[in-house]
Parts: sequence; structure tokens; C-alpha cells
Amino acid sequence: MTMFLVDITIENKPTIRDPEGEVIEKDLMVRNGYQQIRGVRTAKLLKLKLEAKNETAAKEIAAKMCDDLRIYNPLVSMCSISVRVSD
Amino acid sequence: MKIAIVVYPGSNCDRDVLRILNNVLNVEAKLIWHTDKNIGEFDGIILPGGFSYGDYLRAGVIAAYSPIMEEIKNMAREEKPVLGICNGFQILVEAGLLPGALLRNIGLKFICKWVGVKVENSDTIFTRHMKKDDVQYMPIAHNEGRYFIDEDNLKELKRHNQIVFRYTSPNKGELEDYNPNGSVEGIAGVCNDKGNVMGLMPHPERASEKLLSPYGDNSGINIFSSIISSIGE
Amino acid sequence: MERVKELGLNLTEEEVAALRASLGRDPNDLELAMVDSEWSEHCSYKSSKQTLKLLPTEGKHVVLGPGHDAGVLDVGDNWVIAAHIESHNHPSAIDPYGGSATGVGGVLRDILCIGTRPIALLDLLRFGPITQSQHSKWLFRNVVRGISDYGNCVGVPTVGGEVEFDESFERNCLVDVVSVGLGKRSDIILAEAKYPGDAIVLVGGLTGRDGMHGSSFASATLNENSDMDRSAVQIPDPFTKKLIIEATLEALKTGHVRGLKDLGGGGLSCGLSEIADRGKKGIDVDLSKIPLREHNMDPLEVMISESQERMLFVIEQGWEKEVCSIFDKYRLRNALIGRATENTDLEIRKDGVTLAEIPSAVLANAPLISRKSKKPNYIDSLAKITALKQPSDYLAMLKSILALPNISSKRWVYEQYDHEVGIRTVTKPGQAGASVLRLPNGKFLALRADGNSRHSFLDPYQGSAGAMAEASRNVIAVGAKPIGMLDHIQFGDPGNPEVFWSFEQSVKGIADYSRSLEIPCIGGKVSFYNEDKFTNKAIKPSPVITVIGLIDQQKDLMGPKFCGESNVILVVGMTRSEMGGSEYYEEIHRITGGQTPKVDFEYEKRLHKSVLAAIKLGYIKSIDDCSKGGLAVTLAEMCIQSELGATVNLDQVPTDCIRLDEILFSESHGRFIIEAEQNRCEKLKLLFKENNVPCEDIGFVNNSGLIIKSNGKEIINVKVDEVRAEWSLSISRLMGES
Repeated sequence: MTMFLVDITIENKPTIRDPEGEVIEKDLMVRNGYQQIRGVRTAKLLKLKLEAKNETAAKEIAAKMCDDLRIYNPLVSMCSISVRVSD
Repeated sequence: MKIAIVVYPGSNCDRDVLRILNNVLNVEAKLIWHTDKNIGEFDGIILPGGFSYGDYLRAGVIAAYSPIMEEIKNMAREEKPVLGICNGFQILVEAGLLPGALLRNIGLKFICKWVGVKVENSDTIFTRHMKKDDVQYMPIAHNEGRYFIDEDNLKELKRHNQIVFRYTSPNKGELEDYNPNGSVEGIAGVCNDKGNVMGLMPHPERASEKLLSPYGDNSGINIFSSIISSIGE
Repeated sequence: MERVKELGLNLTEEEVAALRASLGRDPNDLELAMVDSEWSEHCSYKSSKQTLKLLPTEGKHVVLGPGHDAGVLDVGDNWVIAAHIESHNHPSAIDPYGGSATGVGGVLRDILCIGTRPIALLDLLRFGPITQSQHSKWLFRNVVRGISDYGNCVGVPTVGGEVEFDESFERNCLVDVVSVGLGKRSDIILAEAKYPGDAIVLVGGLTGRDGMHGSSFASATLNENSDMDRSAVQIPDPFTKKLIIEATLEALKTGHVRGLKDLGGGGLSCGLSEIADRGKKGIDVDLSKIPLREHNMDPLEVMISESQERMLFVIEQGWEKEVCSIFDKYRLRNALIGRATENTDLEIRKDGVTLAEIPSAVLANAPLISRKSKKPNYIDSLAKITALKQPSDYLAMLKSILALPNISSKRWVYEQYDHEVGIRTVTKPGQAGASVLRLPNGKFLALRADGNSRHSFLDPYQGSAGAMAEASRNVIAVGAKPIGMLDHIQFGDPGNPEVFWSFEQSVKGIADYSRSLEIPCIGGKVSFYNEDKFTNKAIKPSPVITVIGLIDQQKDLMGPKFCGESNVILVVGMTRSEMGGSEYYEEIHRITGGQTPKVDFEYEKRLHKSVLAAIKLGYIKSIDDCSKGGLAVTLAEMCIQSELGATVNLDQVPTDCIRLDEILFSESHGRFIIEAEQNRCEKLKLLFKENNVPCEDIGFVNNSGLIIKSNGKEIINVKVDEVRAEWSLSISRLMGES
């Protein structure tokens, strides 16, 4: 068994509005001189330590858990999972 | 004498503070939009509660970069009174005018309830009408009211007597420690080292009229009257 | 009709025929979609309008009755109160956080668009049992969080509400929000475009594909994934709403805004047709001027989009720039999308081409539907009950009842709501039966909403009249005279004759109470189709009545807190053997059945009159109404509020019950518990006698605890702290906290 670091990023689906991202972009970043910013979306990041046989298994376990435990609300959000070996 | 009350996009308690100053204390106070930079004529400034910029990213951070902040910093340098209530406190902390940080309540829920607020330092311009260990009763209403500061800076705070208020029990007569949101040492309000800038999470403007207090008192008004009398000198 | 089906619309054959007749030609796709949206049950009330005509709508304080975005009551000195109720049941059932939050947003818009500043909210929630269901706990937790985040952010205090738990709401939770606004009578503005040439300006959020339920008409522009996205999800944006509130109130001060309408259900289609119809003029709109969030939106999509946070302003010609500069100040997007015209059509154009042209009157007036009704069989069969065993330990029974979620303290809910912002909240949540706000003219406003789905299930007529009786009673108990009400009637499928019968009975009950007590209806809502497709189970009928009252002077303000040891405790009203739908039967004995409490309209009139008179004469020190859980719970609550106790003798209670448990837990209407000083007691009893209202003294306030005696024995003797603990911590414990 290997220890993996799993990052679960939960964000609103692309077609769904993100008012917080809009305000941060417009009222904080662009307004204060960062004209290069072309878009901001907010997300929630869960950083897990997960023990599994291999990377594929780790990813599968994380994905199943996200669905089973409603870690993200599939109506509104999507979740992306990235896995790497822990050092 | 004129007091400015800053209004940011999303401020909610500006008109409440205005009412207490204008109608209850009969002092001239004006609402100032956050893009207005002409505030030199004012003798003091209050940042009221609310949800400036929706509390997005972190409560108070976007407002801390607002055009008016430069002028507020000038006023602070000139040692004029600067008071931050609730969201106002959060903005002053984000702008570096007060030490520490305000984090999410430890219970992870918004809390609205009346609490006891004990005076720790009665020598500031905000508390000169109070005595040390006096308890006032005011409501809190916040999601991110947990005052946090690291150990070293906490020592500094104590050294310069910058802790102005601590939470205490809402039940009259009970003297035990009470902490509605997990703040370090129950800290409810702090001031800067010069003592002219203060922030507190409880809402004194909501406790300035007997009719509105479940305790039937109006001790919240003492903060405002303290500021007014110190300007008057 | 084929085209209707292809587009995924709901218009019936009769409706299409009516439309064709009005237009004198076949409607095109855009016109069909616009009419479909505007003639939906939700926008047009086609199934309920006829029945709702029963409700009395006139009264001394009424400025605007039903039919506008909000009802308006005069509260003296040129001040008015606007009030409205909205529900977001279906969205909250699938996305409790977003659904409830946007529900708050919706009702705030209605108050704002009549020209008043929103000053208070009430939340009225119904869920399945949190004692058993994780799903219902999840809904409850997230609905409260949604209302909290939204209401707190916009700075409008949620000052009261109610929460009811029952199995029938397990899959169909109900989320109602009431909002109240304050303004000057001279500031009231209607949703109308009366003057040709006036500008129609769209302010607020971008128009996107929100709220389109995957209808096939837009299939040409859909890709595979977007079907799922395009659900009923609505993203709350309270920050924008707050800006809209401030910008609107500031814009109204210019005096150059001549009409105002918020966009909600039915989108632009609904909003534009209403302002045109009301102004009896036409509107010419250019779709290319509407700021869109997504590319390639079909004109259909643009017209019926339900994107949040949008308002339509009708601005006096020539003043567009000045008014719009206010929107710019608040960084709100604003676009001139059209003008009012001389004719009476709603004309939609894009790039010079007319896409739709419908007389506004046609859009705004859907043909009404006559529904069949049939009394359900269960009503009579459930009326009979076999005898129950009386409890052996009344203290244990009282504690169990005080811990019931329907009765226990709702502190867990209201401590998440900023109920103080605005510094008007005189009586805080949990302090009394109604919320009390101060008004600028020295008077006070009382607000209370009540519904009892268990009573209404067993007897829709009595249960509904009873809901209004209970709300009125609570308003009286803070010293206020009821001056108006909002009704919200929630049922299953009106196509089901048994559901429709219950609906009619419900409206009749409310109408009869309203008429007898002279409390006019100033607005309301009907929401049908609250049922579960999988089990075909409908919710229990849930009429909820919000009563608004006025207190003239501070000295008349009352509460339920015992004031003085050895003061006399009196009961007003008859306690009857009417246990049907009571918490005692439903929760403790798990019985659904029996006689529901009946409302005696003539008695209620005398009751209101005499209680208010007693209050004005200064005879009453504290007062509380009896409802869920009966006398026992009322007595316990008065002790809990005050930390004083009570010694009472049940033998003195005016009643026809023989059983002790019925005397304690019956939910009969028209009863109060009153505290009076000893030297006022006789005068008080005489006043009630003169008005033919039963009143007896049953005991006195003490300093030791709650002591209830019967037949010479003490059946309950408990310290107040002990019952307070049960009552106050119950819901927090169930939700996994303390």
C-alpha cells in the first residue's frame, strides 16, 4: 500500500455563475491595477492523504467517495481529482 | 463637530449608526460613499457593519483597497478617532490599521445574540465614559468574528494595553469567561498603539436605546459619547 | 398543438384556441413560448383566481390589495407597510441552500418594486421529521443556512417565522418567505408604463439560460452537457441584490421613475406584459439591447429566462441619463431596452425585425380553468378515535412534549439570522408569539405567520380558519390590532378533485375568518403541485396565514414573561375535547384522526375586542396564547421566559373535558393565559364576562417552579430550569450540536 496525496477541487460548473469570482475580479483585482486578469472562478480545495494500492485505485476511491458522500452537489458543481505519491 | 460614516457597496449598518449620532446624540454625522475622498473636514470616522462586497474572498479585504482607505489612514495618522464596528473592524484589520485577523466563528455558523462586553481598558478615547470591568450588553451578529493573533503579537497587545473589550456572559451577574466565537482570550475589541483607532465585533449602535435592549439599558451609547467628548476637547 | 408539444410547452388545446382567437392568426414559436410562460399556473393563477375571489380585500388600512407585487397598508402619518409572501418549494427540495436563498431574493424584489425599503423577513419552513430522517436534517440545515447567508448579507433582519415537521413534507419541503417594507404613502410606485415614450431600462444581472427546464425548443442551441446544467439551479447573489435595493431607493427619490417591476417567474415576458397591461399602453423592445451572459441565445430563451437580480425601470423620457448614473454609481449593469408606445401591443424586435407582437392584455390575462372538486373519503373516516390510556407520569409527558421539534425552542434557527440590523426589532425572536418592530411615527408593527398542516389535513376548513385564528391570537398577545393579512395556500395537484376540494374548503375557512374579524387579505400566493412524482403523495394541506398588526402606543406592548410573584394567573376561553391533529395525538400517540379544534367566529370577535380592551386599560401584566401542546405548554413557556414559576389548579380551567390529558394538551382555539395583579383581577374577569368570554383564575405566579394540581393532587411539580433545558436544547441536540 502506498500513501497518496489527493487534491479534490470543487467548483461551480462552467455555465453556472460565480458571483464571488466576479466581484473579486472586478472590484479587487482589475480595479486595483491588474488589468491582465480575464476571469476568476472560486473553488474549494480538499487535500487528502489516502492509502491505496496504486494511483488508479486512489483516484477511484476518491471519486466514489465524492459521489457517495455528496462532497460536491452534482446539480451545481463539478469536482476534479488529482493524485500524486506522498513523499 | 462632524463625524463621517463610510458606506461601502454592501454596508448595512450605516443608517443605524447615523440614527444614533444624529437623532439620539444630536451630533452632526454624514454618510460618505466609499469613492469620496473629501473627508478632511470630519473630526472622526466610523466604519459600520454589514457585508461590504458580499464578504467575498475574506470579510473586509476588498473594501480595504477602496479609494477612501488612503484618507482613513491619513485621519488615523492625524490621531483623529477611527472606529470600526463588526465589518468595519474586519476592514481596519485587513488594511493594517489594527493588529490581528478575524476568522470564521469556531461553531462555523453565523451567530446573532446579545452578549456581555467587559471593559478592559477605560483609558482610550472610546471608553473614557466607562470604568474598567464595567459590563455593557450588546448584540453580536457575525460569521467571521473569531479574533486571532499569534503569541508574540498578543504579548505586544497586552504590553501596550490594546485589548479594549472582552466577551463575558450574557447573564447579568455571571462573571465566568464566555466566548461565543472562539476568539483568542475572548477578545471582542482592540485598539492601535496610539489608542485612536479601535475595532470591535459587537454592535454598540444596536444597544444605544433602552427600547431595543432585552436588558432595558442603553450602555452601547457610551462608546459614541466617549468619542464625541474627546473630540470636543 | 403539435408545435406546442415539440417546443415542450404546457399550453392546453383550449388555451391555444383562445390565443388564436385573440390574435386572429396562428401564433409563432416565440409568441407561444411567451404565452406559455405567462399563462402558467405560477404566473396566472388560472386554477385559483375564481376561488380566491372569496377573500375580502378591503379595509380601513388597505392602500393596495391583492394583484400587485405587494399589498400595502396605511400605518398612519403618511407611512405605509408593504407585505408579500413567496415560496420556493421545488427549488429548495433539490438545492436547499440556493433554493431558499433565492426565495428570499424573490420576495425582497416584490417589496422593493412597490417603492418601499424591505425592513423585515419571516421564514416559514416545513420539513419531514428530523427525529428520523437524515434527508430532512440535510434540507433543514441547508435551507436555514441559505436564508441566513442571503438575509444577513442584504441587511434585512429575519425577525420571526415558524418551522413545522411532518412526514408528508419529507420529499416536498415547503419554504415560504414573507417580507415587509416601509415607505411613505406618496412613494408607492406601480408596475406600469403609462406614458408613451418613457424608457424601459433593464437593471441588474445578465440574462442567461437559468431557469429553463431543458425544454426541447432550444435543442438547436444545446449541446449534450448543457441539458444537465440547465436545471432549476439558481445561484444566490445577495451582494447584487443589496446594491439593487440601495440603487432603486435612490433612483426613486429622483421622482423620475414612473414604473417598476422585478423580473422573476416568466422573466422578461411576464414582466413586460404586466407593465404594459397595467399601463394600458404598449411596449416596444429591442432584444439586441439586452445584456446577455451566454452567446447565441434564442429570442425565446431571452424572453423567458429567469436569471436572477433583474429589475425593469420605467423612466420618464429625458431623464434616462440622470437616473442611470445612479445605477452606475452602484456598479449595476443597466441597458435601455425599449420604450412605451401609443398602442397596446407588446412588440419584440431584434435587429429591426419584429419577432413577436401580442396585445399586452392577452398575455396578462390567462383564461381561467374550472376545476372539479370532490370531498375525500378519508376526512370522515379519520374522525373516529378509540379511547386512549391516560399518562401515568405527567411530568415526563410534559418534558416529551416540550422537546418535540414542533414545540421546542427554535433558537437553533434564529440565532443564525441577524434579527437586529436596522435597529427596529423591539421584540426579538423567541421573546413572544409575534415579532414587533418600531415604526418611525411612534407606533409598532406586529408580525406573525401560522399554519397547522395536521389540523388542515383532518379538516381543511377548520384548519385554515384556525391558522388565521392562531396568527391573529399571537398578534393580539403582543398588544396589536390585526389590520391585514397575507395568505399562502399550498396543496398538491389541482387536477385531482380531492385536492381541489380541500383547496376550496381552505379558502372558504380563511375567507370566513377574515370577513368576520374584518382582517382583509392584501396579498398572497397559491402554490400547487407540491407532491412527489414517485409516490404520488401530496403534502398535507398547508395554508399559512401572516397577520399584520398595529400597536398605537408603547405602553400597550405586551409579552409572555411573568412579572411578579403572587400575581394572579387566569385562563381565557374554553378548553374542549378537540384532540385531532394535536401534537399529543400525532407525536406522542401516533394517531392521525379525531376532531380538530373548531373556530367560533362570533366568539373570536368578542375575544379580540375584550383582550385588546383589557390591555389598553392596563389590566394585563403578561399574556400568551395557547396553541400547539395546549395549556401545559403555554404555562411552561411563560415560566421559561421569566424564570418565575406558576402554581395552577386545573379544576378551575373552563372546560368540558373530563380527561386530564385533554385539559392539558388540547389545542382548542380562542384561549390565552393572562397574568394580572391581584387588585385588577376582579375588573378583568368582569370585562370578559360582559363580553361573554369565559375567564377564570386558575392560580398564581410563584418563585419556586411549575406546579400543576388537579383534584387535590400535584400532578406536576418541577423546577423551571429543568423544563427549560428540554425545551431549549432539543433541536440543537437533534442537529448534532448543543
